[in-house]
Amino acid sequence: MRRGIATGLIKARLQPTDVVLCGLGSTGRAWREHNAPNPTYYASDPMGMGPAVALGLALAQPNRGVVLLEGDGDLSMNLGALLAIAGAAPPNLRIAVFYNRRYETGGGQPLAAAGKISFAAIARGAGFPWAAEIDDGHAAEPVLDELFARTGPGLVVFPIEAEDSPYPPAGDLAQSEERILFMRALHGPS
Amino acid sequence: MTAPAQLVLAELKACGIDLVASLPDKWLSDILDAVEADADVTHVRVTREDDGMGICAGAYLGGRKAALVCQNAGVLLSTNVLAGYAFHHQIPFLVLAAYRGREDDAYYYQIYKGRITVPVLEAIGVPYGILDDPGDFKRIRDYQRQSQLARMPAVLLMTSRALAGRG
Repeated sequence: MRRGIATGLIKARLQPTDVVLCGLGSTGRAWREHNAPNPTYYASDPMGMGPAVALGLALAQPNRGVVLLEGDGDLSMNLGALLAIAGAAPPNLRIAVFYNRRYETGGGQPLAAAGKISFAAIARGAGFPWAAEIDDGHAAEPVLDELFARTGPGLVVFPIEAEDSPYPPAGDLAQSEERILFMRALHGPS
Repeated sequence: MTAPAQLVLAELKACGIDLVASLPDKWLSDILDAVEADADVTHVRVTREDDGMGICAGAYLGGRKAALVCQNAGVLLSTNVLAGYAFHHQIPFLVLAAYRGREDDAYYYQIYKGRITVPVLEAIGVPYGILDDPGDFKRIRDYQRQSQLARMPAVLLMTSRALAGRG
């Protein structure tokens, strides 16, 4: 499945109040192209922090759904975060892992154990009440429906095709400016 | 005299901090027990200290104040994350770290941490303070305020003298 298809399937299932957090790299770029109305934070560096930031955000916003769009490289860097999430068990946190088996932005180098990993099995082993892998594009919709129907935390793994994802030029805004815009979208002007 | 753990918890709550991420150290047991026992504070156990910082950052984005309680080894491990939130995202939170490896620490394997913690914090430019007496816990609120004003984390290094209530 292409990244843009996967992010579109997620967008179609979001509530207006849901908040999106994107891990760094190509996943966030795919999400940006949808121009979704949901408040979205692009976590950028430090790499490996996506799940932890999503957990903090979910605990701070218990009345909103929080969806983490997470690359496999970012998640692999810090698998222990799945234990913290399972322990805290935020019912409003859902994670979509984009599994293309390689560091797309970094040049396409393979992940350690690429092709052998089951992130859903790791999540279940970490204590997630539910996690699933999408076998192919045809099976994606019912699995995603279940992710959003169930109480969190939940995790779904998308098999993602290798796509060109050239290293983009720097955006117009500094990360701190992106943060302010996100917080204003979420909380309103202070 | 109020126990150091209760002083720390009371200071955190006075700062509006009601979410604490932690990774244990023997010196921190009383604080972590107090946090766990307080129904008004959410306690999240992590497997790496930088995850605790990520949780604090996410909580701030969501409008909730959080702190990380860990050993100074966790500060050393997390320098990339600490600097990233200080300078890249500009997100405030407190790190309360047991300051292991100084002259009052009887374990040889802690010594290197005592030697390099402050030089590392100086090098990455993240504000820090040393709490060396139970009375110093009152300064937690000062560092919290400065952290919020400066939009960057602050690290508080707690000595055995402070944590054991030997002021």
